[in-house]
Order: sequence, then structure tokens, then C-alpha cells
Amino acid sequence: MNEDKVTIFIDDQPYQVSTKDNLLAGVLSQKLNLPYFCWHPSMGSVGACRQCAVMQFQDETDQRGRMVMACTTPVTDGMRISIKHTEASEFREQVIAAMMTNHPHDCPVCAEGGECHLQDMTVMTGHSVREYQGSKRTFTNQYLGELVGHEMNRCITCYRCTRFYNDYAGGKDFGVYGSKNQVYFGRQSDGALESEFSGNLVEVCPTGVFTNKVFSSHYTRKWDLQSAPSICSHCSVGCNVSIGERYGSVRRVVNRYNADINGYFLCDRGRFGIGFVNGEQRIKQVKGIAQQSPLALSKLDVAKALSHFRQKSFIGIGSARASLEANFYLKNIVGAENFSPGYLDDEMKTAAQHAQLLASNAATSLTEIEGCDFIFVIGEDITQTAPRMALSVRQALRNAANAKAAKIGIPSWQDSAIRTAGGKLLSPLFLLQSTSTKLDDVAEQTLLLSVADISNCLATLVKLIKSCVIENTSDVKQQLAGLAEQGQLSAVEQEFIFSVYQGLHKAKQPLIISGTSLVCAKMLSQIDSLMQVFKKQSKLKTPALIIVPPSSNSVGLLSILDEQSLSIEQVLSQLGEKSNRYQGLILLEQALEKLSENQVRQLRDSSETLIVLDHTQHRLSTLADIVLPVAAVSEGDGHYVNYQGQAQQFFQVHAPVLPIQESWRWLDIIADIIGIKATCAASENQTVHTTTAAVKKRSCDSLMQLQQFFSNSLVQWPDLITAESINPDDKAIARMPHRASGRTAQMANFSVHEAKTIQKIDDEYTFSMEGQSVINSADMPFTWAPGWNSNQSIGQFQVQINGGLIAQKSALFIPMSRAITNNICWQLTQAHSGNVNDSQSLSALTYVQQESLYFGEWQAAHTPEFQMLEPSNQLSINVETAEKFGVKKGQWCKVVFSATNEKMQLASQSVISQICIVEHLPSTLAFGNFSLCQSLNHQLEMAISLACDQEITDYLGQYNERLIAAKNSKDNVLESLKLNDQTIPIRLMSGGLDDG
Amino acid sequence: MTEQIVNNSVKPLTQWVNLQQPLTFDDYCQSGGYQGAKVALLQHQPKEVLEIVKNSGLKGRGGAGFPTGMKWSFVPMFDEGDEDAPDNKYLVANADEMEPGTFKDRLLLEGAPHQLIEAMIIAAYTIGANKAYIFLRGEYHLAARRLQQAIDEAYENNWLGKNIQATKYCLDLYVHSSAGRYICGEETALINALEGKRANPRAKPPFPQVSGLFGKPTIVNNVETLCNLPHILKNGIAWFQGIAPNSDAGSKIYGACGRVKNPGLWELPMGATLREVLYQHAGGMQEGLQFRGLLPGGASTDFLVAEHLDTPMDYDSIAKVGSRLGTGGLIVLDDKNCPVAMVLNLLRFFAQESCGWCTPCRDGTPWAVEVLTRIEHGQGKMADLDTLAKLCDFMWIGKTHCALAPGAVEPLRSALKYFHDDFLQHIEHGCCDYNPASLAKRIQVSKSKTKQSVSANPTMAGQSYE
Repeated sequence: MNEDKVTIFIDDQPYQVSTKDNLLAGVLSQKLNLPYFCWHPSMGSVGACRQCAVMQFQDETDQRGRMVMACTTPVTDGMRISIKHTEASEFREQVIAAMMTNHPHDCPVCAEGGECHLQDMTVMTGHSVREYQGSKRTFTNQYLGELVGHEMNRCITCYRCTRFYNDYAGGKDFGVYGSKNQVYFGRQSDGALESEFSGNLVEVCPTGVFTNKVFSSHYTRKWDLQSAPSICSHCSVGCNVSIGERYGSVRRVVNRYNADINGYFLCDRGRFGIGFVNGEQRIKQVKGIAQQSPLALSKLDVAKALSHFRQKSFIGIGSARASLEANFYLKNIVGAENFSPGYLDDEMKTAAQHAQLLASNAATSLTEIEGCDFIFVIGEDITQTAPRMALSVRQALRNAANAKAAKIGIPSWQDSAIRTAGGKLLSPLFLLQSTSTKLDDVAEQTLLLSVADISNCLATLVKLIKSCVIENTSDVKQQLAGLAEQGQLSAVEQEFIFSVYQGLHKAKQPLIISGTSLVCAKMLSQIDSLMQVFKKQSKLKTPALIIVPPSSNSVGLLSILDEQSLSIEQVLSQLGEKSNRYQGLILLEQALEKLSENQVRQLRDSSETLIVLDHTQHRLSTLADIVLPVAAVSEGDGHYVNYQGQAQQFFQVHAPVLPIQESWRWLDIIADIIGIKATCAASENQTVHTTTAAVKKRSCDSLMQLQQFFSNSLVQWPDLITAESINPDDKAIARMPHRASGRTAQMANFSVHEAKTIQKIDDEYTFSMEGQSVINSADMPFTWAPGWNSNQSIGQFQVQINGGLIAQKSALFIPMSRAITNNICWQLTQAHSGNVNDSQSLSALTYVQQESLYFGEWQAAHTPEFQMLEPSNQLSINVETAEKFGVKKGQWCKVVFSATNEKMQLASQSVISQICIVEHLPSTLAFGNFSLCQSLNHQLEMAISLACDQEITDYLGQYNERLIAAKNSKDNVLESLKLNDQTIPIRLMSGGLDDG
Repeated sequence: MTEQIVNNSVKPLTQWVNLQQPLTFDDYCQSGGYQGAKVALLQHQPKEVLEIVKNSGLKGRGGAGFPTGMKWSFVPMFDEGDEDAPDNKYLVANADEMEPGTFKDRLLLEGAPHQLIEAMIIAAYTIGANKAYIFLRGEYHLAARRLQQAIDEAYENNWLGKNIQATKYCLDLYVHSSAGRYICGEETALINALEGKRANPRAKPPFPQVSGLFGKPTIVNNVETLCNLPHILKNGIAWFQGIAPNSDAGSKIYGACGRVKNPGLWELPMGATLREVLYQHAGGMQEGLQFRGLLPGGASTDFLVAEHLDTPMDYDSIAKVGSRLGTGGLIVLDDKNCPVAMVLNLLRFFAQESCGWCTPCRDGTPWAVEVLTRIEHGQGKMADLDTLAKLCDFMWIGKTHCALAPGAVEPLRSALKYFHDDFLQHIEHGCCDYNPASLAKRIQVSKSKTKQSVSANPTMAGQSYE
């Protein structure tokens, strides 16, 4: 760490600065103020804006000095610079003055106002008087979709947007147009931005050109937002976010810097998918509980309603989107033998393999991904299921160019120079997928195969590595040819494996990424074999491994599964058996969306009582006997465990309107009545052999008390997370900025008396602007520093630019249990896997549904803005198939899928869809963006014919209706939220029922 | 033989120029063409050619005057089988002649296309490039046609393509017509344009010699610079340096435009004085006009005035009196034209041609235009002169990404110095005295003479309110 630090003199004061970054980063690392625009800590320097000018001096005697741009100047030992020098500071002021010649004075109506980097920098340079007398240029703005707004007149031409969108994130539908002082940043024509990362433009843009459209539509200034550190609930990466709320509605999500995970960027699902919290589908009232008082639901009401379930048996189904605490609590209430994660049999097998892989291979962080020089992605479209990870993969591919540039002495922060020197050079990325993905453009090779063939390919690679002690290229080829014959591989597959092998041979930091989207346990078990053969040899570097599960807490759920955990099929059969005498079923934030209508009905019919805890309506909540409204991520506390096994706490941003409360609070009430079953793990443990049921002495008022109770009474928990006691002497951290206005006037239309602020003992945050400075916290509710009002103030809280946060807590990794693999049902036997291979005979067609950024996660899919961006049906097939059916690219077709079983047709489904032609797609594989019903999962036949006009019109009519419905839903939500703002219904009390 | 050399020595570059009908391949060979290339390819190793060019003292004729041989020597050379060797290197002829008042390359391109091709063979051979481009100004349609014809002939006669003249050396040459931006004359912007990217100058380092076109080592040379090569190779260093014994080596094509009697181009030994070019060759000012000043080398050089007329036109001498030799094309200002209007016109050009990358140039040049427009229209204030001076400083060397803005500053800052009275007069009179009828706005404060002329010409006065 200290080796790369040298002493430099800034205005004659000595500072220790790293030579690994440029002078600007060095200056900012010292928490000195130096304005900048085009430089970005993560995107490096290009020297366009000329804002960070400083004077550099030869030595102590040099009085004249030379003006340099700090962002393009390397740090050298003993260098002397001046920030305060008149020439430099006057120049910096003039740069702002020049930019302002075309910047409109619309700060009052600008969504960026109050958190505008341009405002901050303007004030920082001291520019305050306008000298330019000419007219300003005007631009026409574009429609960029429902998520990002566009106001080009505010542009100061720093080029950051295109550098992020095109260069950093690989977007294709955005660019720079025009020249001189008429440079235009936008799309070629109006239309929704296609990149998964378009929302970052809002934070990357130093001013209000790109704004969060959803936030703007129900706008509030940054200083009036109440925020808390949170974790994104939309995929397994676990990006750190800060959620902002006002008047009881969630307004926006912004990035919260975490050096190891998301850095400075989020994906659009994470940024805009929070809409479900304010959604029309929210469950706000209890169902099936008689309420005594019309005013509020009391604990007694709940106790009465549940009283006849005392000591009864329930089956509990947890979920990967509920917090670790809630899942763990449910498992202990119903007992391990009655707990299900809500997975189907195949998913259970996949989960078992996943647990096995995760327990034996530590997954790398996103930052570590960016250091890899070889990446092999197998059967997982991470651009849609873990988009932020795909962004890191994209950055890793630049390592080859970085290395080439380093050879001619160009440091890694010289962004434009590296792109010049590196040209199109990329580190190798291999994709073995079932669908086209958005990484195809940067992949060295992409092979599209059905799931079974992917496993087959991997098996051959395993054998190749096992057998290869030879380094000679032709020998390897020969060896491979033999193996390929055994595995019946095509020449293309053989070539692909050979290239992968060669890539692995050269790699110093290889990485394999796969996932559970394809629900193929066999593929994961092949990856397990692959990792094992790697570890047994020494010629090739063993790659790091990442398995991407679908949800924010998939790994948390996985960690508490054991050999007794049930699949949905088992749940159904257990409920069906009369002898088991189950009282019913408790569904914890679980919609079971993969179940067929039949299965849902069966589930309902076989459970006497169906208790649903959820925040948003779904099929089962409408069928339930008792529905308990639970808090969404912004309304409660809990932990999510990301794909690596890192547990991260999300904090309550705002108190929900009762009776909505965190699911663990509901479970706490349920536990009081139903009781807590012994966990099986407890009986195994010799020391706690007498415990059959944990005794709960009192209700848990806070997450901390809950964790305390878990660690004291339940066996498995101490391994997971131990409660950190809050020091009562520590002043809590404010959820609102110092400048929050109007808290005392919030209820002024009802009463002039100031409402009591919500008292909360749950965590170290207050619902107030009073509290200790955020600088002492790694978990900052918002980012704000003196002179730095925008999110770019994060530099003030980093140890050094791009480094960790000051006072950062160390990451908390929970141990992975392999217990689930002990259940024979979820193990893959050779014979079994052989059968799978046979049943999916080669001639059968496989249909794969493409993953979707907007609709791939159940909660985010409820966001009306996403629904408005729903694409129409598209089916991708290869040229031969298209020719066979006589259809062409872009034509609307009627596609009939049918499943046959030896003699009879089992099921069929017809879909109106547009045809896409994909090269190198095997004839046995087709993929599209629509789903097929459950029974059409495997063996398929497909018939395509041109759709008649009526069919197309009907389909498009329905499609349009859905879009209009989404638009209406958006308008309704907005209207009701704005109405709410007028009547502020927040119950300003602390959490939990019965609290007075 | 010696006699012939002496005869030709005066005008080696333009001796073969024929604007009506350039020499065909055969005629060009007959007149002594492709002999320089023959000497280079058949008699010398690339290293030796590099030494010859280095020692010849040839300096870049594009405006900066950087020694050509030294520029070439930065290109990394690789032994056969070297793993780090790039798959290609490139040579680019910068024929994007867009400097206002400059038209010397056009003469060479249209009049003697084979000379450039021969020169490029020599240069490409020296640096080991197998692909070469002529980046041609988009408007030079005739040149494009003639160059392509010459290239076709060169291919037919094995001066381009595979194994040139039975050597191992191969070279492909392409003409690329620019989409048309002044900034493409900047070598790295040119490279970006050639790659199909926005024509923004690149950050340096890396310099193109190391990492240029498509990230490969690349040399970009001006057309006139290149055209010297066949003659240096053919006639030797001593001959080349003998052309202008008291100045920079070789000859230079000088030009003049503006209200002179005989505008045009003349190839003279390097170091002819401004007076020689202006009065001997351009014939002096037109009848009834007095000389006020000139821009010695295109629009992006500082004004020089009468006291400087005896300065020799070579790189160092012109620099000593505070300007730059640039392209050697004089733009002459007379006493009946408004210097403020001239500077405004030039600044408009530069503001228009800014690529929009760095702030001082992108927003500084239009700002200067705005101020100058007001002054020219009689709406200037004394404070505007300070603003202009500040802007000159704001856009000066070291503060911008490339040389465009400092180039734009040069005529402006020197005009403020030499024609200060004109600026003052515009502001004090509230109009332009050179063209009082047009654009007078501050009628109430202007002189009665101006007032009359405005009222006498109401349509013109009306236009000024736009």
C-alpha cells in the first residue's frame, strides 16, 4: 500500500499520494477541492473539459510554472503543484464561464437542482458574474423511454454520458452528434434506450441533461428525501443502494458506493424496479382477521384469529426474496422437516449442486472480476439476470488493451490513450449459451447449444483437461478429436472447446461464470467436475467460479436448507396425505409463479388454512384464508445474502403504514401462538440434546432483539449473523440531510402542533435530520459533503479515490452448508443423468425463454414503467428452420408448440410472434422472449406458419392494451401518490402493532 | 548531368507540375520520375533512407516545421519474427488542405500526382509500412480523380502492390476523400476520421508513430513534405541543402492571396523574404490600395506588418518576429478592408470548425465571435477589449487539447496589437468606418456623417437589427 505512495507538494504542503492514479485523483484523495467534469473515478481521464487545471513547478525556485490538467498528469515523486495559484484558479473560473455561455438558468425547474455537480463546481471556482452577452444555443430533446429524461440545453459537453454508455457499458444506440458548440448527445432518433445501464446516465451526467424520469414525475429535492442504506432486492449481486422516500412513498434509488460490489454503477432494474413499493398491487390490509377497533389492528385481533392454530403443524414455504431472518424464523416455526424453499424438484437438484459448488469454491467479487483475463460464461445470460456483473465482465475484457498500453508506458487511468493504443483488443470471453446475449459483441467465441448439449460439451472439456499432460497444440487437438467422438460432438463444438482450452492455457486469472437460470443440475455438476479436475492438476491455473442464482437472497435461503427441506412436489404430496394432519401452509413472500394453475389449485385445496405473508398481490394471495401485509425492502430491516455468500443488511427507509410490517414481525406473532418447532440441527448437536422446542420469552421489537433471540435459542443461527450491540452512547445517524425542510410543517393543514418523530430502536438511524455526521458510517443513508451536494461527493468518504470507504465494516460472509446435498432425492446419479440424456433425444426441440431485465424478477416486474417497455413476441430460429417453414426475418408468424409422448399429443400452445434469424443456432434449439406453459418444458415440436392479418391484429391489439393498461396504472399510481402528499397519512409511530 | 540538376534545383517540387494534364506514368518516368524511389528501394536499406532524410534537414511543410527524419525515427522497427511486431504500420499523406488562404498542396496533387505516389513509396518503405492512405480534402474532386488514375498506373507498372520492382517490399495505397472538417488536418484527428470515428484530436502520448491508425505505428506527413523525398533520394543531401544555403534546407512553395496584383503560388528557395514574395512575385498591392499587414502562413498565424517585410520566410526567422511560417501562404490585408471584420471572419471559421472536444476551444471561439460581432456592428464596449484579451489567454497553448484554438488566437491577438486603433474606433464611433453603411446601430451616439449615410440607406440599416 505504502510502496506506491510518494510525497508531492501541493501549495507547498507535503502530501502522500499514490503514483498508481493521476494527479487529480491524488488531490481529491487528500480531500482537497479541485473541480472536474470529464474525469470519472471509474472511467479515467480524457482531458476534455480542462476544468482541473493546476500549475506545476519544476522545483522550489520555479516561480512561473506551467499549467497542466491534473487528470492527465501522472504523480511523480517530489512534484510541486499549486491549486491556489492565480493563473490556474482564474483559468478554472473561465472554463466554467465558457461552459455557462450555453447553460440555461433553469435551476429552479431542474431535477438536478441542489445535487448538481455543475452547481457545485461553479461555486467552487468562484464564478458568479456572467460576462457573455450573446444568445444561447437551443436543442430539441428526445424521448428516451420511460426511465430517463432528456434536456440537452443543459449540456456542458463533458462527454461523460457517451463515455459511459458506449465505451464503458457497450451501448450501441447512443452517441455524439454534431460538432463545435453544437455537440448533441442522444440517440439517432427518439426511442427507449436499450442499454441495461441507461439509468447511470443520471448520475454520470454532471448536470440535468439526463434525469430520472420516474423521480421527476413525483419530484422532491434531495434535501427533502429521507434515506437509508439499502441493498438492491432485484438480483443476487447485492448492489448497495440508497433509497429515498418522502411522505410515505418511495421516490428513487441511487447508487451507494461499495468498492467490492457495485462501485459507482447500478443496472436499470435496480434503479427503477423499486416501483412495486408504491404499486397498485400492494397489499395494505390484513385479510381473514376480524378487527375489533375500526381504527387499527391490534395484536389481540391477530392472536384471536390464530388462536386455534396453537401447536398445530404447518408447512412453511420460504422464499429467495424474503430476508434471511424471516426465512430462518419460518423454518424454525414450522420445523425443518416442514420447510420448503418453494423450489420444484429440478430446482432442488440445482440448488443442491449450487450449495456444493458454493461451499467448495469461494466466489469472487465484482472488483475481482474486473481483474480477470479470461472469462467463460456457461448457460447464464448475466446481462439480464445479474446485469451489474455483466458490466464488470465488460471491464475485465479491457485488461488485454491495458496490458498492451502499459508496455508503451500508458497508465491504466489514461482512458482515451488506452483506447487508442489498445484498439479493439479484448481479453478472451467465451460464451456457451442457449440464447443470444448482450455480451456477444465482445465475446471471442459464442456457442449456442441446448442445455443437454452444454453439459455434454463440458463433460468433454473435463475429460480433455484430465487427460492433457501434453502441451503440444496438435496433440491436444488429437486428444480432443478422440474425446469428441465419444461425446458425439460436432466440429463446431470441438473447435470451441479447443479455443477455450487454449485460452485457459494462457490465462493468469481465469474465471468461470454460470448460473441456475436454466435449472440444469447436470450442467452444474459438470462444472463441479471441471473445478475438481482443475484442482488436481498444476498446468492450468484453476479458475475462480461464480454461480449466479436468481434472487437477492437465494444464497441466504440456500444456506438454511438441509436434507429435510421439501420441494413443491413433496409439499403437495405431504399435504395430500391425510395422515399427516397438517393445519395448512404458510407462504412467506412467495408467489410460486412457476407453478401451473393445476398445482396452485391442488395446493389450495389440500391445505386447510393458507396463510400468505406478502407485500404484493399474486394468485395465492387472492386464494388465501389469511393475508398478512408485509413490508417491502424499503420499509423494513433484514439481511440479504448475495451470490458470494456475503450478508448485507438493508435498513428501514421509512415506516410503513400499519398494519404493514416486516414479515419477521408477523412471524414473531405467529411464533407466540403456534410455537417454535425444534430444529433438526439441534438434536444432532450433543450439547443441546434436551432442547426440543426453543422457548421464546418475549416478543422481539427490533431486528437486533430478534437476532439476539436467534443466537440464544436456535442452533444454526450463531453461524450466520451475530447481533452487533448498539452502543447507547453513540448518537444515531440522521436519515434526513441537515437541510431537510418542512418536517415541522408536514401536518400543518391538520394541526399546528409538531408531530412526534418516529422513535426507532431498531438500528442506528433516526427518522430526523438530527443525528451524527454520516462520515463515521460505512452505511451512509445518503452521500453529501460540504461543497459536494451531488452523489460525486463520495470521493470525500473514500480512503482514497476508488478505495474503500472510511470506517468501512469488513464484509460478512455466512458459512455455506452442504446439508441439502445429503438428501438422496437431490443427488445426481450416473444412471439418472444418463436417463435425462436419453429422454432428451437429439431430434427433439428445446425452447428457451430469454431472460429479461425488466420482467426477470417478480417484484421489479410490477413497475409500471417497465411494463410500458414490454417488447412484443419474438422467436429466434436458425436459417434452416426458417426455410423449412418458409418464413423470413421480421415476419409475423403463428407458432404452434406441442409436446408429444410416444403416441399422443400431451399439450400444445400457439403463439403469435415475429421471427428473428440467428446464425449458428442449432436446429434443435429455439429461443424467444415469451414463456411457454409448464407442460411444454421439455420435448417439443414446433410448427411455424405465417399469421393471417386477423391474428396479427388481434395479437397487437392485446399487446397495445397491455401497454395502455401499464400507462394507466402509472398515471393512477402517480395521481394517488400526489393526492397522498396532500393528506400525509403517515402514522408517526414506531414499528409493531399494539404500540399505542 | 550537373547542369540539369542545377536547372531543376530551383523548382524541384513544381518542375513536373502540369495543371492542364498531369504527366502520365510513362512521361513521368521519362522526365526522371521514380528514380528516387528506385534509389531507395534498390540501393538502400530502410535504415539508410532514414539516415539520408534525417541528414537532409527536411522539415515538415504542414506548418509545424518538425524535422521529418526525426519524426520517422520514432516509429518502432522490428526484426522478422518479433512477437511484439504489429501486423501492419501505416503511412498517411495529409492532403486535407483546409487552411484558409492556402492552396499549395492542391497544385502538387492536381499537377503531379505521380510525384506524391513516388514519395509515399519511399516514405512507406523507410518506416516499414505496407499500407498507405492519401487523406484528401473532400472538395478536391479533380485531385481525387487524378490521384486514383496515377495509383492505377503505378499498380500496373509494379510500383504499388506486391513485390514492388521485384523487391520483397509490398505497398497498397488508397485515396480517402475526407468528409470535410478543418480539424482533420490535425494528424490524430485525421487518424480518427480515417478509422471512421469522430474527428477529435487524440490525447498524446501515445504518439501516432507508436500507436496511430488502428492502434498501429503510423506516420502522417504533409503532401509538400513528402514530395521533397524523390528529389532528395535522387540528387542527394548536398544538392538539397544547396538549394537554400542560408536557410532551412530545400525549396518551399510560397503563395499569396488577398488584393494583390498577381495572387498565386511560387516555388522558391527556402528563406525568400516577405517583401520578395509580396512585391516580386505577387506584384504588390492592387491600384489604389495600401498594404496594412499580412498573415504569413495561413489563417492560424499572427499578423505581420510593414516593419516585418524584410523577414526571410523560414521557420526560425518568422518565429523571431512573433508569427509562424505555417504553410507559407500569405493572406494580405489592405487599407480599404476592415481588420476587425477580417478577424471576425477568421474567428467564425475557427468557431465553426472546432471539434467540440475541449471547453476553451468549443465555447471560447464562439464567445470571441460574439464579442467581435458586436464590435464590428458598432455595439462594442471598452470592456470587450479586455474580454478579448482574456479569451486570447484562455485559449492559448497548453490550455487546450490541440492547436486549433491557439491557432485561432494568433490572428486575433496580433490584430489587437497591430490594429488596436481600429478596434477603438469601432467602439467609439459605434460603427465600422470601413463600411459605415452596414450594420450601424448606435445611431444616436455616432457621428453625423454616419447618421446621414444610415438614413440614406434605410434597407441596409434595417438589416442590421437582425
